[in-house]
Amino acid sequence: MNQLFQEAIIISILASTIRIMTPLLFSAMGELITQRAGIWNMGVEGTMLTGAFAAYIAATATGSLWLAVVAAIIAGALMGAIIAFMTATLRVDHFIAGLGLNLLAGGLTLYWFQSYIQGRAQPTFSGFQDIAIPLLSDIPIIGPVLFSQRALTYVALLVVPAVWFLLYRTRYGLELRCLGENPKALDVKGLSVTARQFAAVMLGSALTGLGGGFLMLGFSDRFLADFTAGRGWIVVVALIAGNWKPKGVLLAVTTFAFLESLATHLQVVGAQVPHQLLLALPYLASIVLLMGVRFRSGQPARLGIPYKRG
Amino acid sequence: MSTALRVEGLTKRFAGVAANDHVDFDLRPGEIHCLFGENGAGKSTLSSCIFGLYRPDEGQIFVRDEPVHIGSPIDAIRLGIGMVHQHFVLVPEFTVLENIIVGTQRSGWRLNAAEARQKLRGICDGYGIEMDLDAYVWELPVGRQQWVEILKALYLDARILILDEPTAVLTPGESRILFDIIGKMCARGLSIILITHKLVEVMQSNRVTVLRKGKVVATLDTADTSPDELARLMVGRDVSFTITKPDLKPGETVVAVEKLTAHGHWGEAVLKDVSFSVAAYEILGIAGVAGNGQKELFEVLCGVRKPAAGTIRLKGEDVAGLTPRCLMDRGVGHIPDDRFREGLVPEFSVAENLVLGWQRSPKYRSGPLINGKAITELSRQMIGEYQIATRDEKVAAGKLSGGNAQKIIIAREFLHASELMLANQPTRGLDVGVIEYVQSQLLKKRAEGFAIVLASEELSDLFGLADRIAVMFKGEIMGIVDPKKTTVSEVGAMMTGRKEGATP
Amino acid sequence: MIRFEPRTERDGLWTAAAFAMAIAAGLAVSALLLASTGANVGQVFSALVQGAVGSPKAIATTLVKATPIILTGLATVIAFRAQLWSIGQEGQVFAGAMGGYLGAQLLAGLPAVAFFPGVLVFGMAAGVAFGWLAAVLKNRFGVNEIISTVMLNYLIVYLLSWMLQGGPWGESGGTISYQQSPMLPSDAFLPALFDSSRLHAGVLLPFIAAAICSLVLSRTPLGYEIRGLGYNPEALRHKGVNIGRTVTIILMASGALAALAGAVELFGVAHRLRADNLVGLGYAGIIVGMIGGLRPLGTVMAGLFFGALASGAVYMRVLGDVPAALVPAIQGITLFFFLCAGVLARYRVVKVAVQ
Repeated sequence: MNQLFQEAIIISILASTIRIMTPLLFSAMGELITQRAGIWNMGVEGTMLTGAFAAYIAATATGSLWLAVVAAIIAGALMGAIIAFMTATLRVDHFIAGLGLNLLAGGLTLYWFQSYIQGRAQPTFSGFQDIAIPLLSDIPIIGPVLFSQRALTYVALLVVPAVWFLLYRTRYGLELRCLGENPKALDVKGLSVTARQFAAVMLGSALTGLGGGFLMLGFSDRFLADFTAGRGWIVVVALIAGNWKPKGVLLAVTTFAFLESLATHLQVVGAQVPHQLLLALPYLASIVLLMGVRFRSGQPARLGIPYKRG
Repeated sequence: MSTALRVEGLTKRFAGVAANDHVDFDLRPGEIHCLFGENGAGKSTLSSCIFGLYRPDEGQIFVRDEPVHIGSPIDAIRLGIGMVHQHFVLVPEFTVLENIIVGTQRSGWRLNAAEARQKLRGICDGYGIEMDLDAYVWELPVGRQQWVEILKALYLDARILILDEPTAVLTPGESRILFDIIGKMCARGLSIILITHKLVEVMQSNRVTVLRKGKVVATLDTADTSPDELARLMVGRDVSFTITKPDLKPGETVVAVEKLTAHGHWGEAVLKDVSFSVAAYEILGIAGVAGNGQKELFEVLCGVRKPAAGTIRLKGEDVAGLTPRCLMDRGVGHIPDDRFREGLVPEFSVAENLVLGWQRSPKYRSGPLINGKAITELSRQMIGEYQIATRDEKVAAGKLSGGNAQKIIIAREFLHASELMLANQPTRGLDVGVIEYVQSQLLKKRAEGFAIVLASEELSDLFGLADRIAVMFKGEIMGIVDPKKTTVSEVGAMMTGRKEGATP
Repeated sequence: MIRFEPRTERDGLWTAAAFAMAIAAGLAVSALLLASTGANVGQVFSALVQGAVGSPKAIATTLVKATPIILTGLATVIAFRAQLWSIGQEGQVFAGAMGGYLGAQLLAGLPAVAFFPGVLVFGMAAGVAFGWLAAVLKNRFGVNEIISTVMLNYLIVYLLSWMLQGGPWGESGGTISYQQSPMLPSDAFLPALFDSSRLHAGVLLPFIAAAICSLVLSRTPLGYEIRGLGYNPEALRHKGVNIGRTVTIILMASGALAALAGAVELFGVAHRLRADNLVGLGYAGIIVGMIGGLRPLGTVMAGLFFGALASGAVYMRVLGDVPAALVPAIQGITLFFFLCAGVLARYRVVKVAVQ
């Protein structure tokens, strides 16, 4: 009995690790694309928040979860367009642009949300459910952990190799990495740095927005203020901790998800800890993780430096 | 006669100031045509217009006698124009092959690496260039990186090649190889525009166009001219190439460096057992190709880099590892090579920059506040004494020319230092007039009893100014020689790693 | 066709025009935002103005609302001028209120002349500690200050939540546990400037603080180093400035200013420790500081503007059903246009003939 209980707990911890991980994974891969193109986008939090909000509106207004997914992607891309305009076109300091976007997104979503629900009960929707893959989900332990997840989870796990392939095996990826390392090398070949950074940031932010949308559609049924609660910042931490490499970022995101999963299960097993401490764990872990990170070799050389010819 | 490239009446203004003023220029097929002039004479502006980086305000460019519009480098590349930039435009994290092909592919989403590799093999074999295409650029010595830049242009089928100061980072031997291959290119019908300020290189060209203050002063057949004439044309007056240095008896030893070792970012040794001493009334020259530890040596001496081992005795006291503040307070001054990054705050005014590092000094304070009046007075005096060309002391230092910015640094450092002056490349990139001024200031301070450590990439400067010359190679001192008893070529050999006194 | 060319010299008139355009564009987009949710734009704007400056009481509310955001704005100025992108102001407001609350318990019974300075110092000390922590993380461990301060913000919010709910500061009694402390005794309320008005004495603090910040930035060696650090830290390092120590001083000073906002809010307005009075004051301060061009005087003006907006919003809420989040939305929009205007001010518009 006791052993069965332990096994159930372990499976539950691992399954929820994967569940918590996947929205972050979309956003982190999106931010990876953005940062490898040289734009240090600090607006991940705002982009995820907007993606989540767009997904909420679309899901409650149309009832279609897949339309909501599309809405989150579009919202993310729009946020990316703002960031790209500020950083690549106007060459505003990247940090300022990102902070500005977070504040703008926080204000706008809250305003629209409040007017959306004004004078009525907050509408809710029912989100994505687990899809058990036949046969595979019957494998002990691995089955329930890996193959009994939400549809987008499977997509998210495929995004990592896809982003890797894009970055390292295509000419677009080579150009994109060149933007982050030395955009002048493209400029002197007559290619527009601004246009390429725009494209990269919009693509990346679309993924980031999707992450926010998935957070909404997979794990909640309603929007609330500060819905993303710092997950965007954890994504930024994951980029640094993962040394700007797809595999490293995957590992960093998994670590965060595991910690959070562990924390939520502490209460299940009856540990006497204030829930605030558990909620604070990911942020504490972020700081500790960054304190330990010593290598920055993967950081794109021109990350966060506005490009100017001459 | 047909031309490979012709420029007529080209004018380019920046904020109303003409950087190129009705420039006429033509390039014949298969020739090396030199663009010669001081910094800011308009050489780089002209080549940037030809390569499409700038759009000219007036004038017309012809390629193979056809009028063309070059709005972006992409047009230039299509017309067969290639450019090797003075500051390499390479991605250190990429391989040689990736650096060459990035941005060249116009269709398809896969990387056409195999095709490119084959084409590059052909080019390398044709010119006898040895290059490992799969090496990362950061692994290559600077001299080799030059070849990557040249291959980039050749890969794009350049017929006209602009080389901007190509020998700045090369050893004399490497420069010779470069000119051999340039010769081969010309033999194959490529036309070369060579931008340089070194007379030795000008003399290897077919023709030379001299620019001064944005205007063409003359276009001459190189065979019909002389270095003296070219120098006169460049500066606009007679230039005395001799520096008169009085003989002074060295005083007591000011700084003695013993077995100094320092590590770089990745733990590699950047300084290995460096030992030397400098006395009062003495200039020690540091010779060497850029990147052989000179910068790190200065950083350790002025305190911004911590040494791993060794001692630095300043007037007998070991100061190795002390902070820049401590060293400044002990009378050490520093003229860094990257003046706008390390020597100045470009956004600060001339006055503010003149007290940089001494802003807390009681001299410039009244109580807790900065004494603006004292600083203004001092600034006006310094602007006069050091002939800093500025409207007033409130102008931002970043708006001044490189020469005037350098004068601010020199004024500040000599005002506050008293024992030792560390001058790293103090004349690099400056006009002849300013160079003469800076050199005369160094000699003046030497006569006042300063010990001076002076690094320069121009050997002629060191031979003129230094009492002794230490030659650096890969972080080591290959030997310390007396310029009166040695030749430029001997020092040149030591710069490529031959120990002092070794027979070739 | 027109073209933008960089300017070599700043033109005061053009700069003013650029920022005027930013304000106009900000208002226009805000109006669009209101229209997008079906609100009556004219009515809302006139209500905003009424509530902001329509009566002495409205002006008093404006000043009270402006007080904390000017202070957090000044905290932003000090840090951002040195290119230290601390966004710990949000958490430092919480720290300031908590430090002040602790001080109020320890110093209870002291005469007002000692009590109020004392509790404000307690509050500021908490902000200093927060700033010091961020500085240590940056100097010793190379942790980017943006990320560390965001994380510390979340941590301190949870700390307060725990202190009020399960911890020692919660309000006892009753069946529902609200996340708030008991009321402070009335002699711990900051005294009103005029009889029976809500204008507490703390509204003077931002103006005093702004004057001090202005003097420090423009006339002291520390201010010289703050500005220099923002422009070119490498040159400062070469010229003997201890960068790590300067960073620490700046982040601690910034923390003190932001924390002061939290303490003033506690003793002047809320009179009890609870989170919802404090939420957003730090982020609003970041916007105010940036819109104020990272200058103390500009920050005071931007702070008064947003204070007026917040005051107007209170009035507007009484009239109609426009969401309270209109204020942060307008703040975000205005910030965006001000950032654009800052770029525009550095360019000139040139007419070019079409070729």
